[in-house]
Amino acid sequence: MGLNRFEYIEASSIPEASRFLADRPEEARIYAGGTSLLLLMKQRIARPAYLVNIKKIPGLRYIDKNDGTVRIGALTTHHDLEFSPLIRRWLPVISELEPEVANIRVRSTGTIGGNLGFAEPLTDLPPVLIAMDARIKVADESLERLLPLEHLFRGYYETSLRPQELITEIQVDLPAPFFGIKYLRFSMGSDKPLVGCAVGIRIDPESKLCVDARCVLGCVGPTPLRVREAEEALKGLPYRVNSSAKAARIAATACSPLTDLRATEEYKRAIVEVLMRRAVEEAFRRASSKLQG
Amino acid sequence: MTRKKIILSVNGVRNEIEVEAKETLLETLRNRLDLTGAKLGCDQQVCGSCTVLMNDLPVSSCSVLAMDADGCEILTVEGLGAGGALHPIQQAFIEHGAFQCAYCTPGLILAVKYLLSRFPRPTEPQLRHYLAGNICRCGCHVEILQAVRSLARRAQENQL
Ligand SMILES: Cc1cc2nc3c(=O)[nH]c(=O)nc-3n(C[C@H](O)[C@H](O)[C@H](O)COP(=O)(O)OP(=O)(O)OC[C@H]3O[C@@H](n4cnc5c(N)ncnc54)[C@H](O)[C@@H]3O)c2cc1C
Ligand code: FES
Ligand code: FES
Repeated sequence: MGLNRFEYIEASSIPEASRFLADRPEEARIYAGGTSLLLLMKQRIARPAYLVNIKKIPGLRYIDKNDGTVRIGALTTHHDLEFSPLIRRWLPVISELEPEVANIRVRSTGTIGGNLGFAEPLTDLPPVLIAMDARIKVADESLERLLPLEHLFRGYYETSLRPQELITEIQVDLPAPFFGIKYLRFSMGSDKPLVGCAVGIRIDPESKLCVDARCVLGCVGPTPLRVREAEEALKGLPYRVNSSAKAARIAATACSPLTDLRATEEYKRAIVEVLMRRAVEEAFRRASSKLQG
Repeated sequence: MTRKKIILSVNGVRNEIEVEAKETLLETLRNRLDLTGAKLGCDQQVCGSCTVLMNDLPVSSCSVLAMDADGCEILTVEGLGAGGALHPIQQAFIEHGAFQCAYCTPGLILAVKYLLSRFPRPTEPQLRHYLAGNICRCGCHVEILQAVRSLARRAQENQL
């Protein structure tokens, strides 16, 4: 079908990109890897008059660690994350997940900034990053602000960003000792996830009781869903089949999946329950395994 | 509409081409450079028949803007092999009968090239995983995997 006509601009700095976006809030879109955006344009769902390529802005593609925080530049690709020794060392849950994202070609070009900024419900990174309390750095022409990633997502393909704002960095604090995290996704072949489920568990090394928990679902509602009631059901308890089953039932009820071409609502709820149970078990196991090491 | 002169190095040959903003890399390769190896299939990053290597990484040329490829090194299936000889991957595909209509083949060969450059001796899960994004509608996946395994075996023998 090909693409409709549009103007293509290469921004060389964040202020330049931001100014251009501010002047044309309805017509201009940020273009990073283009993996998601071009697809929407081919389907005539999006018809931007201007694409602002931000990949020529220097200094937005990096993975660093300092002061106990891993910082990932917005232009870092899935492929960069998949093969980064630093990510493998400090945030192995991301190295584990990345090969499952899409296919190798989407991973070569798709960026983490685009993955988050698109706010598509069917993605993998947001639940995992939210389970690690990730923050994003957002910039416009003159100001920068930090916000919890959880607060980025507003609805289907909708974020809390203003039109002139760009995501510039993702920050993840190194996990506390005795924290374990597991992400499980269910999909058919090399496709977008049907359900994603991230569970983080922090235990007290003496009592082995869960002192903090994160239960975050992806793909089963307009935004990533933190199921606080499931988290509460795990706190203060050691790992027990009963309590993980209870948290899983709560999650399956709390989410709002839609019946679509790929599966029915009931089916997705059943998958949520299974994934949540398994992720809780594995997150506990990972948290406890640090007791020896 | 934005038009721009880009520099595209394709199979080692430098090209200066004026392209439109809405032009995809696949359109440039096929319509302007007459390189018809990469093919349009799904047009949505799923099938892989348009796979080319851009700065050594596989991309869906159906979904990369030509302007965005400015300054990049592109490798298409036409750039494989030297002096009329087939590339070992092409040879292995023939030996194992890894195609019928061959629509998927140029893309798959480049996907295999990337796979073997990153993992010269891929494990079975690795080779299945990294090729899962290239779909063969004739259903030659078994033969394709055999061809790649034979290349991996050869890499191993050369190592020993
Ligand atoms: C076939 C296919 C399969 C996929 N499968 C998966 C999957 O399994 N799991 C998964 O997680 N994802 C999947 N994706 C989505 C993929 O992760 C994202 O498409 C990719 O990371 C988006 O990055 P991009 O740079 O290509 O974004 P673009 O397409 O360039 O942009 C997407 C949107 O984000 C905005 N944007 C881009 N960068 C920024 C920024 N820095 N700040 C603010 N807004 C910005 C753009 O304006 C645009 O609206 C899939 C995509 C495709 C096409
Ligand atoms: S045509 Fe590009 S991936 Fe199918
Ligand atoms: S040989 Fe026909 S599509 Fe693969």
